[in-house]
Amino acid sequence: MSPPPARRRGHRCTGDREKGEYMLSGREHAASGCRTRREFLYQIGAATAGLVAAPRLLAEPGEAPAARPDAPVPGKATRVIIARDETLTKGSVDEHAELLRKLLDAALQRLTDAPDAATAWRSFFKAGDRVALKVNTLGLSTQPAVADAIVAGLCAAGVRPENIIIWDRFDRELAAAGFKLNQSTDGVQCRGTDAERIGSGYAEEVEKSGEIGSCFSRILTGPVDAIISVPVFKDHGLAGVSLGMKNFYGAIHNPNKYHGNNCDPFVADVVAHRYIAPKWRLTICDGTRAQVQGGPGRSPQHAWSFGGLIISNDFVAADAVGADLLEQERHARGLKSLAEDRRPPKHIATAGARGLGQSDLNRIERIEV
Amino acid sequence: MDGVMGRLPQPSRRDVLRCGLGACLAGGMVCRLPCAQGQDVAGTGALPGVALPGVVRHPARHWEKHADGEVKCLLCPRACVVGDVERGYCGVRENQGGKYQTLVYGALCSYNVDPIEKKPLFHYLPGTQALSIATAGCNIECKFCQNWQISQFRPEQVASTPVTPEQLAANCAARGWPTLAYTYSEPVVFYEYMYDAAAAARRRGVGSVMISNGYIEEEPIRELCKVLTGVKIDLKAFTERFYVEQCAGELKPVLRALEVLKDVGIWFELVILIIPTLNDSPEEIKAMARWVVERLGPDVPMHFTRFHPTYRVTNLPRTPVPTLERSRDIALGEGVRYVYAGNVPMHPGENTYCHQCRELLIRRVGFRVESSLIRDGKCPKCGTTIPGVWSQEQALSFAPRQRAAGTAQGTS
Repeated sequence: MSPPPARRRGHRCTGDREKGEYMLSGREHAASGCRTRREFLYQIGAATAGLVAAPRLLAEPGEAPAARPDAPVPGKATRVIIARDETLTKGSVDEHAELLRKLLDAALQRLTDAPDAATAWRSFFKAGDRVALKVNTLGLSTQPAVADAIVAGLCAAGVRPENIIIWDRFDRELAAAGFKLNQSTDGVQCRGTDAERIGSGYAEEVEKSGEIGSCFSRILTGPVDAIISVPVFKDHGLAGVSLGMKNFYGAIHNPNKYHGNNCDPFVADVVAHRYIAPKWRLTICDGTRAQVQGGPGRSPQHAWSFGGLIISNDFVAADAVGADLLEQERHARGLKSLAEDRRPPKHIATAGARGLGQSDLNRIERIEV
Repeated sequence: MDGVMGRLPQPSRRDVLRCGLGACLAGGMVCRLPCAQGQDVAGTGALPGVALPGVVRHPARHWEKHADGEVKCLLCPRACVVGDVERGYCGVRENQGGKYQTLVYGALCSYNVDPIEKKPLFHYLPGTQALSIATAGCNIECKFCQNWQISQFRPEQVASTPVTPEQLAANCAARGWPTLAYTYSEPVVFYEYMYDAAAAARRRGVGSVMISNGYIEEEPIRELCKVLTGVKIDLKAFTERFYVEQCAGELKPVLRALEVLKDVGIWFELVILIIPTLNDSPEEIKAMARWVVERLGPDVPMHFTRFHPTYRVTNLPRTPVPTLERSRDIALGEGVRYVYAGNVPMHPGENTYCHQCRELLIRRVGFRVESSLIRDGKCPKCGTTIPGVWSQEQALSFAPRQRAAGTAQGTS
């Protein structure tokens, strides 16, 4: 058997003796992003419906379950913070950088019951963490000022700027959204997957997760300890909503293949992958500028001055609350519900049913700050 | 298991880097890499040349406007309704401000000069060469795709080189290659480029063959047949279940497209990749062959080819040769006159035998034609006319028949 077209070369993680490939050593294996036993167990656990109600690590046999720093406190409902300030709807978002930082810090404190903002941030991130902020620059985009506010919080927790990367699919879309690209080793990194190398910045191997088979962005397959999803609060013509989970369609090479059936169960399949779910610390949904219809492209007539952020350490709960708020606004405007418009955001319930987080609104505590 | 192509020397990295497509075509230098025997696998390594800075944009054909800035693609049966800044399932056609655009017009990501037998087309100018090209993208997703590194990627994810339709045609004419083949990925998704290249090729006396999954609407394929001279269709299986579960596609529209090809009268052949346990049952092969004879006629060649594990189907073994032989026997038994076994070099099922007297007419070893006795399209022993395209003059003389009554779009 001769090799397939060598458009995209690289080693394989599973050795195929017949093809003369090799098995990786443990260190090579880890560096390659192949799944560890713990990661494998996590994914199996995540795919088991109803086993867990919120993100958590599975323990090794014989160990007590390891509580993640962001794991919901037992006995308490999952929290989703809705942080709004009408001032944010006036002028440009960039003018309100200070207000955004304060709002975000207050939200994190409320989420964690921490005595101060730095402590709140440290409950999710530690010095030495390498943190990836997945923004969304397709159509209505994440505001750079929101990303800046997150970076300020991370730095307050001791994360080094050069260990932070703001990323999306394309350099050109990031630049068009107002982000300053930075591929140097100084300061906060900012680049698209396509900047990883000419032609493609996606991993060589196809990763299977549920129904999907995709190559993931090398930004995610590389050394990343923590992920923050920074989507835009917007409607989506097929998935119903494009929030924290749908945002990760921008992490795979073939999102176009997974828009059928309202993107379900594909969104859940993508985020359940070991590159994403185990590392996901926060969703910080940018609602400074929102859109209730016509998404993900810009549709000014359907703009919504939400003026705030939706924040949670439970990525399913954040999306569930976001979708509910969007439905309420659509109702207030006389628009059809997403279900009536034949695009219910089914992926949220699917993710909840798989134990990736809490999708039951009755079990989510909404807190407004 | 390397075939003839597999023994060709692999170019060094320097060769590849030096070998820009433009220079390659102009100077006659052809990059070849080993490829799977009997399958139309992309023949280039990392395509030399500078990656396009972004993507090319060219007006798409076969779409209509919808409300709220959406467009509906009418090219393939998937009929994607695409919102602004979004793309269709193929990943290479995008709605920009309510206008549908192709992103792969002239964006060549793979090319090679292949024997026509590699397509495989066994009854179309045997022993000749075809400049074979592809762009990124596909409108289905076969979990066993041999060329997924280009078919399942979007244009900005693969290095491409800009080549105009006119350049393709001119180089074929200058080099004496009689055929342009649109292949490797899925030509339907680069429809506009293919159409214009085929038209330009015809003007220069060069034929065009499309190697496709046949997942295309009736109007586009009828239009396309005005410029093509041959077609090969991958009939993936004969059950809807297989198409849905293994290909994210549908069988019925493919069968419809085959009937259209029959109706317009263009030369076409069928390839069926036999995958153990998924589409290899004798009942399915029998039903397929029976349908072919009844609806397309006994002269449409069928190629049963051997599966190799790849892409998302890595848990199944290679197809046992006896399974191919059984499939071939079943099809012959149902009345298909020309049935081949593919991906099994030296197998007698690679050869062409007169359907009337069983005389060996074309002896093949892999992609190479060892001998051909066909003269003027006839068997030299019994004088029977052998179906196919045996001269460039015959290829270029093809013009589609007018639409027959009862074959209007939407009928079945």
